[in-house]
Amino acid sequence: MSYSKENVESIVNNGLSRRSFLKGLAASGVLSSFPGGILQANEDLNTKIPYLGEKSYKTFRNACPRNCYDTCSIKTYVKDGVMQFIEGATESTYTRGGCCVKGNSYVKRVYSARRLKFPMMQVGGKGSGNWKRISWDQAMDIIAKKLLEMKKEDGTLLGAALTKYSGNFGITHYGIEGMFNSIGYTTRLAGTPCWPAGIDAQNLDMGDMWCNDPEEMKDSKFIILWGVNPASNSIHSMKYIYEAKKKGAKVVVIDPVFTEAASKASQYIQIKAGTDGLLALGMAKIIIDANLHDQKWLDANSKGYKEYKAYLDKEIKLDNVSKITGIPLAMIKELALSFAKAKPATIWMGYGMQRHTNGGSMIRAIDAFVAVSGNIGKYAGGARYGHLNTWGFNYAALSMPKPEGSVGYTGPEGAKGDVAQGKDAKSNYTDRFLNINKTARELINAKEPKVRLLWVACKNVFAQDFDRNQLIRAFQQLDLVVVADQFFNETAKWADIVLPVATQFEEYDVNVSYWHYWLTLNEQAIKPLFEVKSDLEIAAMLSKRMNQLQAGSCTFPQSVDTKAMMVKEFNPGIYEQFGIKSWEELKNGPVKAKAVIPYADGKFKTPSGKFEFYSDKALELFGSALPTYLEVRKPYDKFRMTSPHSRWSLHSQFQNLEWMEDVHPEPYVYINPDDAEAKMVKEGDTVAVFNKQGLLRVKAKLTDNVQAGTVLMYEQWYNNNIYNVNELIDDTSSDMGAFKTGAPGVALHDTFVNFRKL
Amino acid sequence: MQTIQPQDRSRLDELKHLRDIFNAQNSKELKIAFGALHSCLEISEEDLEVQFNRYFVGPMEPIADPFASIYIDDPDVVMSKSTLHVRELYETMGFTNPLKNIIPDDHLGVELDAYYQLLYLEEAKGITYLSDLRHYFLHEHLSLWVPRFIARALEHSEHDSKAMTFILLQLKSLLIRETTTQGVTA
Repeated sequence: MSYSKENVESIVNNGLSRRSFLKGLAASGVLSSFPGGILQANEDLNTKIPYLGEKSYKTFRNACPRNCYDTCSIKTYVKDGVMQFIEGATESTYTRGGCCVKGNSYVKRVYSARRLKFPMMQVGGKGSGNWKRISWDQAMDIIAKKLLEMKKEDGTLLGAALTKYSGNFGITHYGIEGMFNSIGYTTRLAGTPCWPAGIDAQNLDMGDMWCNDPEEMKDSKFIILWGVNPASNSIHSMKYIYEAKKKGAKVVVIDPVFTEAASKASQYIQIKAGTDGLLALGMAKIIIDANLHDQKWLDANSKGYKEYKAYLDKEIKLDNVSKITGIPLAMIKELALSFAKAKPATIWMGYGMQRHTNGGSMIRAIDAFVAVSGNIGKYAGGARYGHLNTWGFNYAALSMPKPEGSVGYTGPEGAKGDVAQGKDAKSNYTDRFLNINKTARELINAKEPKVRLLWVACKNVFAQDFDRNQLIRAFQQLDLVVVADQFFNETAKWADIVLPVATQFEEYDVNVSYWHYWLTLNEQAIKPLFEVKSDLEIAAMLSKRMNQLQAGSCTFPQSVDTKAMMVKEFNPGIYEQFGIKSWEELKNGPVKAKAVIPYADGKFKTPSGKFEFYSDKALELFGSALPTYLEVRKPYDKFRMTSPHSRWSLHSQFQNLEWMEDVHPEPYVYINPDDAEAKMVKEGDTVAVFNKQGLLRVKAKLTDNVQAGTVLMYEQWYNNNIYNVNELIDDTSSDMGAFKTGAPGVALHDTFVNFRKL
Repeated sequence: MQTIQPQDRSRLDELKHLRDIFNAQNSKELKIAFGALHSCLEISEEDLEVQFNRYFVGPMEPIADPFASIYIDDPDVVMSKSTLHVRELYETMGFTNPLKNIIPDDHLGVELDAYYQLLYLEEAKGITYLSDLRHYFLHEHLSLWVPRFIARALEHSEHDSKAMTFILLQLKSLLIRETTTQGVTA
């Protein structure tokens, strides 16, 4: 028998031939003869021709929810139910039609062959690699029975712990905390590994963490990018910086590392890590001594300026500032005076600087410098760090009542997280909070009851938490570890059950930024692939099974539609703030909050209602009322190791996609050539980087972008690579964070290592 | 229904069992389909599934993904050009796919199902209306990627599994038979 390739292709590819063929197919009666399998005979052929010619694109509104300043508004193009490409929404002046390299790879992410596809259970023990498919019903049955067994045996559900963080910042994703609220009082890994010291610092100074609209930077006359690298990690902000520069503004980057942003600046100042606070104090002293400070604003709006000035006069010696920071005094003076003379001027503080043992005190010092210069509460000014002022949603899925008779923790209550928490009714009990930044040791040490079940959501614990070896021990001692994720990573490797989670393109949600002021609808653009489900659907299925086993044991809805849940998040306050009457208006594109200049009215949310140079709360909590100079952690090994974000990943996300692997396939340690020469290391050599915590083998890249005495390794997860920079990082805390986020931050950049050629 | 010759019945059965192996959703279904292939291997349901998952499902990176697009278009993504090409073929064959946009159309289990159903029409029903399409599907699509899929899976001797080797060799044998024994000329 022969066949003609050309004839078949003509039928398949040519609309008219195909239509004619399909008509014939229906007429011939072939359709009724199919034996049946997965594919079904298309009965529609008997009544209509399904082929409609070239299928056109449908467009959907989406948002990038992955813990990034930019939180891009996305327009998604779908053809015949398949995502074809995305672009940045043009309606958002911030995103302005573009996404970053990571966002542009979303089609590759959604359709990655590496996605988790089915619920699975590890049958040979954690880490065995022996996985069996289970149905969703089986998965929920195992988890629900375990929870109810724990409740019966312990009398509480404090043995059930949730660790969730920044893999998806969509508002409905707080439903995961809602699911845990719904089963009773539980254990939460509380705090944030990201920005806590700075949050505390800004709350002490101004009573809030609230920054000006980044789009205003186009009109700033002087911009200091202090420990932040937007050219890699907030690329949409760069256009405002470029515009300001084009109009004559000076853009200065202060950073221990010569970053991509530094390469675009008017001036780069390489500072010794952990001395930024001292530089800010020195600059404040310089402008006060030069009478360039804004006395009028300070008199009207601040508390403790006199004490602050007295401290500067007495304790801050400019020669020392120069010596300790490594910056020539003339350069410091020039920087301080030119900043003070430029109006408006602004400083953007990144989240790297506060990752030191003195991180909070450094942010306080910079806030104070901006205040002294008279740039707080001014258009295009401000001490910028981040904000949550557009996050006033209902958190509907979060606010579930506890099941009747729930028993919980009776110890001292802690704060509960950085973004959103439920509005608990008055109760004799609370949840139990463990420090997320000491996850390994907290899981191991928790007693009465011990933690027996851990649920991991929106988070890759092994890539983000510290002391990997102890984490393995912690996971192994747990009865049941459930990891809900989109990809198989090292955390999933140590799980008992993995649950495949939907991407944002497969569910409804709503997103805002902690940086810009745009609000974006996230529509379901495609059907969920394989057996993936949204976190909300998973919560509902668990609730259903728990209630089947024991009525009233879970108050979470037993069925949920992500669109319905998303709709519940809106309220009149949000509509008012964003100038819309209905969430449905967001189908036309993202909208921006009404313009507001933080603290322009001089009202601060501090106890005094003023900017507080002198903070009683800071004295109570941290032993110093003023933003004073606090020395950074003493070295415990030869080289400082800094572990910033890479442009190719967002923490542990995206790096496993082929586009990223094409350009950045493996980790490196970046070493200053002088240090490399002393250790006889050449470009491309494999070196062991080690310290008291652990050892990593990586290839060396030599660059004077890093200072002598410092090595740099990016914090990210590489697919099929054992590299994890956290192997070398202990869980030493930064000075602040516990005030507002429940636990102090981690002094990631106060890690010290040595290295040698292998 | 016309009388089916024993060799054609065997051909259809083998195809159906291989299809069912790649579409199995749990250990039991997998073991039944595997047993139906007349394997003499003694293996527990659980071991069979663990090995099958390591080779073809995950959750870790499988040894060989069972999707055409991985071998034809892009080694890392599904739902790409060849997936949509197969979708068009199914539509022209008169199939509707209830799992459209849920399971990629070019999953091996779905493709074996399409091929099985077309072959069934010819051999069991004597309907040859779609045979051109079946041959096109076999020679211009299945033959492009399934041999590469088999070779990739067999290459990984460090994960040697007699059961998976048996399945892969059965698949290889079927493909060779289908492509070489019918005097097909393109």
